[in-house]
Amino acid sequence: MLGRSLPVVLVVVLVLLSYSLVVPVGNDTVKPAQSGNTFDLGLTDETIREVEQRDLSIPRVQVYYSSYEYVVGFNTIESFLAEQDRAGHQRQFGQPVEIFVSDYAGTNVSLTEDGYLTASRHVGLVDAEDTFVVVDSHARLPNGPVAVPFANRDAADKFANEYGGDVVPWVDVAETISPEQSLTRDNFQAAMDNRSAWADATVATARNLTDRPTSVVVGEDAPSLAAAIDAAPPNTTVRVPPGTYRTDGLTVNKSLTILGAGSATRIRGDGNGTVVHVTAPRVGLANLSIDGVGDIGSRRSMLNASRLEQAGWSENIELAYGRGDAAVRLINASASVLTGLHVNTPSSGIISLNSSNSVVHDVELHVTEGDDEGFMGVVAMYGPLVVEASQFAGGRDGVYTHRADGIVVRNNTFQNSRFGVHEMYTSRSLVRNNTVRDTRTGIIIMTRPTGNLVVGNDVRASQVGLSTAGSSSYYAGNVLSGNIRGIDILSFQSLVERNTITDNTVGIRSGPGLPTNLVTANDIVGNEQAATAGLGPLRVWTVDGEGNYWGPMPGVDGDADGYYERSFRPNSPIDEHLHDAPGAWTLAQSSTIALVRSVQNTVPGLRSAGIVDTAPRVTPVQPETLAATQASNNSTEVAT
Amino acid sequence: MQRRDRVFAIIERELWTLLRNRVVIAVGIGFFGVIVGLSGVSMGSPGGYVSLTYDLLLPVEVLIPTLAFAYVYRSIRGDDERGELDVIRTYDVSRLEYVTGVLIGRTAVLLVVVLTTLGVAGVVASQGATPPVEFFATHQAGDTPVVYIRFMVFAAIYTLVASSIALTVSAATRTNREAIAAGVGMLLTLAIGLDLAVVTLVSTNIIDAGSIAIFTGLSPASAFRGLVLEMAIQPALAINPSVATASPLASAISLLSWFGISTGITVVAAWPETR
Repeated sequence: MLGRSLPVVLVVVLVLLSYSLVVPVGNDTVKPAQSGNTFDLGLTDETIREVEQRDLSIPRVQVYYSSYEYVVGFNTIESFLAEQDRAGHQRQFGQPVEIFVSDYAGTNVSLTEDGYLTASRHVGLVDAEDTFVVVDSHARLPNGPVAVPFANRDAADKFANEYGGDVVPWVDVAETISPEQSLTRDNFQAAMDNRSAWADATVATARNLTDRPTSVVVGEDAPSLAAAIDAAPPNTTVRVPPGTYRTDGLTVNKSLTILGAGSATRIRGDGNGTVVHVTAPRVGLANLSIDGVGDIGSRRSMLNASRLEQAGWSENIELAYGRGDAAVRLINASASVLTGLHVNTPSSGIISLNSSNSVVHDVELHVTEGDDEGFMGVVAMYGPLVVEASQFAGGRDGVYTHRADGIVVRNNTFQNSRFGVHEMYTSRSLVRNNTVRDTRTGIIIMTRPTGNLVVGNDVRASQVGLSTAGSSSYYAGNVLSGNIRGIDILSFQSLVERNTITDNTVGIRSGPGLPTNLVTANDIVGNEQAATAGLGPLRVWTVDGEGNYWGPMPGVDGDADGYYERSFRPNSPIDEHLHDAPGAWTLAQSSTIALVRSVQNTVPGLRSAGIVDTAPRVTPVQPETLAATQASNNSTEVAT
Repeated sequence: MQRRDRVFAIIERELWTLLRNRVVIAVGIGFFGVIVGLSGVSMGSPGGYVSLTYDLLLPVEVLIPTLAFAYVYRSIRGDDERGELDVIRTYDVSRLEYVTGVLIGRTAVLLVVVLTTLGVAGVVASQGATPPVEFFATHQAGDTPVVYIRFMVFAAIYTLVASSIALTVSAATRTNREAIAAGVGMLLTLAIGLDLAVVTLVSTNIIDAGSIAIFTGLSPASAFRGLVLEMAIQPALAINPSVATASPLASAISLLSWFGISTGITVVAAWPETR
């Protein structure tokens, strides 16, 4: 009989369910995760590779956060503290539940002659709570000083006695170590002004080289260009009248300026190897046309395996990109200037190695089109250059950098190549006001560098406008329009703001990394899809109550602060269609949606993957730029 | 006929009355649809049980009394209206036995609907979540099904209380119109009125902050919410709120009292003992 059995069944079920009241909820004791199994923050790939090559040791921190499902690893205590301090960190990750830190006690820890931290035994992880940290000692890694943690006070004292510094218990570490510069507009603007001022000064100095007195005129005072270079005393100008000057490789090995008469002065190689080798500092090459370059982009594949194995990680890259044929190759030619050049090349245009403070100005570079045909426009390795006001067409990458920290690439145009600007292992660079068209990626940063500034560039008709990487970088004021994707965000702890992202298939794609980027005050409208997100938890794209402009919202701005009191979720099935499907607007106003949203906003850390802007802007950030970009796109469409 | 048998006979009768009623089944399906639908929203999200409990707390708090009212308000009222109550009274059935039977019968169906719905919702929400990338170390952040099962237990208790209150309405009113009016009034009072009263009293300083936990517990809906927050969700949070989110003792006593008092009134109101 149902009347008897059902109540009995229900009672049994309820008793069973009630058993949950005595089952403990909460965390079992957590153990440190295997290294390599965590999402890591801190240190650039360059530093990590240097550490590996020199067999140094990195103090690590591992954190279990209350609102983040993956375990987060930090290279250095400094980077852990910097992330704790970051705006919006707690909203995304919650509080640390458990912190583990490297223990250098009993590891034979010592410093190399250069003060680099090494340990000859395995460095394990211990509960951070009871550790003691030596700060302000002589210990450092290639990127700067590091704090060194120990499980017991004695070991910490011993280290401090030997290498200096103060011993502080873990709880006081946050107060002792001064945090990195925070990710604010002011800080980045200051860095930008600093970099721009450096570039202005570098250009001013380098351009003085074109005012050197003329000592030799080719054809009048010397029979050939090579003879003229031999004859000319240093710090003078060799004038090259119009004509074609054939060479099988010209070497400028003293501080001279080679001044042509514009494109009528043509230096032509024999189609093998590099045309002009510059091996002295303060060399000027001005108003020349260079062609006849060899067609070998990379010589790496010609080397045997044992040679490559001997080479360190960085030399391997140099062999691949820095030893090919080029119109001009600068080696140890610092403070040189290349200006008014017209270059045609089937391989690379300009390769610069160890030539800091050199300037590429007003150069027209035509590289044979196609990935497998031409190679790089400018390859900058080791030491910063200024590349400005130049035109790049064809080839693989317009500008390729390797460990060229501080390089400034500005006011150039790039088109029909693989990448416009391609930065590898390069930090603190400034890429500003460049125009890029028809590339695979307009500007791409790779290998987790730090402190790069990508500002005011205009990328269109490309597969990806801008691809970010690394940390503490600034991606601002760029116009990304008519691309398949406007921005690929693969960076960490970076500020993405005031960009105009319109008429792309996807406005912003957020990669699978840790949700640590600050995305605010961008105008993201008229894209087929505003934003997509990879694996990982919800990313909150609002900073201190300031979101992005996504177009009109079915909400109100009751307090008239310029932000809607309604969050926008570019990935939600309804919000996604607010601006392209009739009726979505009405559905979005439904109280059901309000209910669902209110609960979804409660616990962001554990929430579904995707993106939310909790305070979308009512009006565009840069209405003129947005209107102008959209208008120019419309006129192009009419024209074609 | 044993006393127990008499109660079971009434339970049996109530069960079949409900199960034969298409409106009852439709309302049940509606409840199921809303709750499972909401849980479907969190489908595909990693780490779902704490969030799911948060998600469903408010809808369950409002919908269970609604469902209870729909299932129960006609019970004693209907018997009375059709004259069946007078027939039942001719049998050797005390009003306590009658009320117990009706309450158990109706509540049983309610519990089946509520528990099935929440169970399915829990399963649905746990489906389709992108499994964490196995390569990376993960942790649960306290997010276990235990949290959700506790929520179900409290929801069941809340259902029982809501059902007993709805039964009181059914017994204490004399006409259908009265029953509906009283039922709607009761729903509004439970869902909004009592909390609003506490908020008003606190904001006018009639209740001092120290007693909020006690007074909040007085409303069954808030008592239920308090139990879920304090005993299901709170232990799962890695970082606890600095003070208790509610007083479980006040909440428990409140729910028990609501159940006891309302059932007592129902018994008395079912029919006058002497006649």
